[in-house]
Amino acid sequence: MEYLASDKIAIVDLGSGDITEEELDEDLVLEKIGGVGITQSLYDRFEGEDPIVLGSGLLTGSLVPGSALSVMTAKSPLTGKVSHVPVVLDAGIEFKYSGFDYMVIKGTAQKPVYLWVHDGIVDINDADEVWGKDVWAATDYIREFMGDDLIQVLGIGKAGESGSPLATTCINYWQGGDRLGFGTLFGQKMLKLIGLRGMGLLEIAEPEDFVEDCLALVSTIKSGPLKGKKGIAQMAVTLGGEDIEDWISPLIHRHMACFNTPIPTNSFVFLDEDPALLEESKVNEPGMLLTDIHPLITLKKMGLSAKDACQVLKECAKYGIDAAAVAELSEKAGTTALEDMVKSFPELKGPVDSAGTSIFSPWAMVGNQDRDTWERRQAVSYILGIHPLFALMTSELTEAKLLDLASLGTELELTQETLDEVVAEVSGKS
Amino acid sequence: MDIYERFKTLNSRLIRGENIPFSEGIKGLSHPSGTNRDKPLAYPAIAIYAGQGASHSWLWFVDLFDRMGLYDLCFLTDTTLKENGLRGIDVLAMSGGDTFAIAEGLGKSGAREIERFIRSGGLYMGSCAGAYLPLNSSKPFLNLFNYVPAKITNLTRSLPTALRLKEKFCTSYGCSFIFHPVRETVELKTNGFAPFGKPKTLLAPLYGGPPMILSDPAAVLARYTGFTDHTLFLVDRKLAEETVLGTAAVIRKKMGAGHFHLYGPHFEHPRFPTANHLMAAAMYWDLRRGNPPCPRTDALQGDAFLSKKSAKHFIRAVKREISNARIVAAGLEMQPVQWTIGNKVYDPGKIRVFLEAIWSRLGVLEKAPRLCIQPGQDGATMRHTASLTSLVRATKRDSDQGRNTPDLARTLFSELSHSSMLFLDIYFRTQAYHFGGIHEA
Repeated sequence: MEYLASDKIAIVDLGSGDITEEELDEDLVLEKIGGVGITQSLYDRFEGEDPIVLGSGLLTGSLVPGSALSVMTAKSPLTGKVSHVPVVLDAGIEFKYSGFDYMVIKGTAQKPVYLWVHDGIVDINDADEVWGKDVWAATDYIREFMGDDLIQVLGIGKAGESGSPLATTCINYWQGGDRLGFGTLFGQKMLKLIGLRGMGLLEIAEPEDFVEDCLALVSTIKSGPLKGKKGIAQMAVTLGGEDIEDWISPLIHRHMACFNTPIPTNSFVFLDEDPALLEESKVNEPGMLLTDIHPLITLKKMGLSAKDACQVLKECAKYGIDAAAVAELSEKAGTTALEDMVKSFPELKGPVDSAGTSIFSPWAMVGNQDRDTWERRQAVSYILGIHPLFALMTSELTEAKLLDLASLGTELELTQETLDEVVAEVSGKS
Repeated sequence: MDIYERFKTLNSRLIRGENIPFSEGIKGLSHPSGTNRDKPLAYPAIAIYAGQGASHSWLWFVDLFDRMGLYDLCFLTDTTLKENGLRGIDVLAMSGGDTFAIAEGLGKSGAREIERFIRSGGLYMGSCAGAYLPLNSSKPFLNLFNYVPAKITNLTRSLPTALRLKEKFCTSYGCSFIFHPVRETVELKTNGFAPFGKPKTLLAPLYGGPPMILSDPAAVLARYTGFTDHTLFLVDRKLAEETVLGTAAVIRKKMGAGHFHLYGPHFEHPRFPTANHLMAAAMYWDLRRGNPPCPRTDALQGDAFLSKKSAKHFIRAVKREISNARIVAAGLEMQPVQWTIGNKVYDPGKIRVFLEAIWSRLGVLEKAPRLCIQPGQDGATMRHTASLTSLVRATKRDSDQGRNTPDLARTLFSELSHSSMLFLDIYFRTQAYHFGGIHEA
């Protein structure tokens, strides 16, 4: 596979320590396009070995607006279904640039390990120094040890290590889109984290036309209905969700976008620092990044202050437990004190509604959207590598346009018919 | 076909022993006249100096020769040059760096080796510091290399005001100073003498190389004629014009049976194809001999190959460490640090120049049918590249904590140079072996 790809699939056996590589066959791309189309087929191939499959979409890391997404496919311990969770912020593209398009992680390590994926190399390293550390400390350790603050870390905290069914995979210091307990799977495999860094480049088949079309699309989106929208609260309202803007806005310091996503869907709040501060804070941990609206809505309903709610989310991120599940179970138990919620982390168990019933993480399900439309949009995003929240908000990003760009970028003839077939297949409707 | 492909095609014929005269093999030079027009071209054995005092710019020579299919390369340090390193060599490429440190490192015996080499027909190609080295000087160590009676116009007793880049602006020279009036791209004009062909204007980058004056006008191949939009003025423009324009930028000087080619600007810089072309053409013009067999490919024996499994392990190990090191080096580039080593100022960006020289060639070795290597060379390369990762990480860690890192940086750059030499030796052995299909036939 020559364009928009690193052309490599890594098969990592944590049990034996063997790592093998395969080329990404162009015929596979023509048949399954990419993203969950291919992670699903790799999952099926290695199903007997409990794999977690990490993969990028066909357009991930390109100039297509919103091309921030990689995905993980595995059997969710919460729903029992083979499911998919998004890998966003900058981790999705870092995976693609690290020299692999897909990585199958199978087997169980005999002792804690972490994967260091860099420039087409996968190393299985001893995790003695990081096992037992919370998510924030583990991220700090890896970045300091490897010597680069741009390393993206997909990892678990104590929740995953201790087998909590609500453990989530975090991205660097923050909760990502994993509502399906993939953190538990990491823990079961004795896999503390995956460090990602790549300095590779992607080749584009028709670079001039591709770039021109992408820039035109960005311009159209930025002047459309999303013009001026920013931050997690406004995203929720845009999608028909509850308005929490007045409640949260006094804490917001800045908004942050995932890679190449024209609208920032995340907001950074200051908890131990003045949110109006414009210079760099001297406080060690001044606040946190909000990436998920659902736990905030629940905690607000429970009567928590915005600051306490964010504090809960911060502790969840450090512990590596899904904040939406924590909020839901705390509401059911009537636990409203911050300290009590944090103390309850080790004991919390499902089932939880926050895991949803779809094969796609409900992280991007905001408001009362039509279920079939939502499923379809998620599938397309997860196949092509488009940020799933952004895709829901952006009608300009049509399937036809995305396929055009994919064909332009790869020189492959990718048709609507193929996309329909792959969507049907991953949705179990083929 | 670009000039590099043209040279590569030519060299693939030369390595097979084809008899090709200069006028047929070297195109695009407006038919230079002279006695060497009909001389048969040779596939040269080239040594690149990468020892004490050499900066990263020796890697530009590596790029140039690599792109042109000149694979019979070896790398010399001050020590190996003095230990008969020039035996069997046709061309010595002396890159930029710290002239004083180069002279000191080579010392009397190094100077004697170089003189013997040239007098017996060898070609010395000096660029920037490599051009300063053989110019007449009264200073200790430099005076061991008094081979070319040229003067430089950027020597002064009263230093002018530096407008920018004070750390790269000048070097003390006894009671005087050598100052650098401009940096980056300058305009040159060739004088119409062989081997450069009819007069033509071209661009080349100047990073401290000499503006020279020579009494023999026929020895001047090109002069500085102007500045460009990309020229960076370190002194007042008028002074820069007075100091640089009209002086010799390239000199060709005979000594015994051999020659000096001295380039003030970096003609070997990879982004200047016209300058690259002229430099290569001049090299062929003054090569000492006709088409001998390539010594390196003849020297290869069966025991100099790595098994497929060992080759895979070797490439993967080197790849791992170079990847680790370049990731840290990229992080280090975000920091406002610089190191002074000898008379030269190094910034973190230079680390990656070495690392990329290795990284960009790993793919070629991955695809090579056989990896040519001397016994023990693979282990040494793996050890040294692993130490690179540790050194860059230690430098970054100390730098993050606000500590000065001059000693670490000195060790790091020495190790970068050493590791690059080790790796590139394997790379060029392998390329030379497979080039032209002579061993596949």
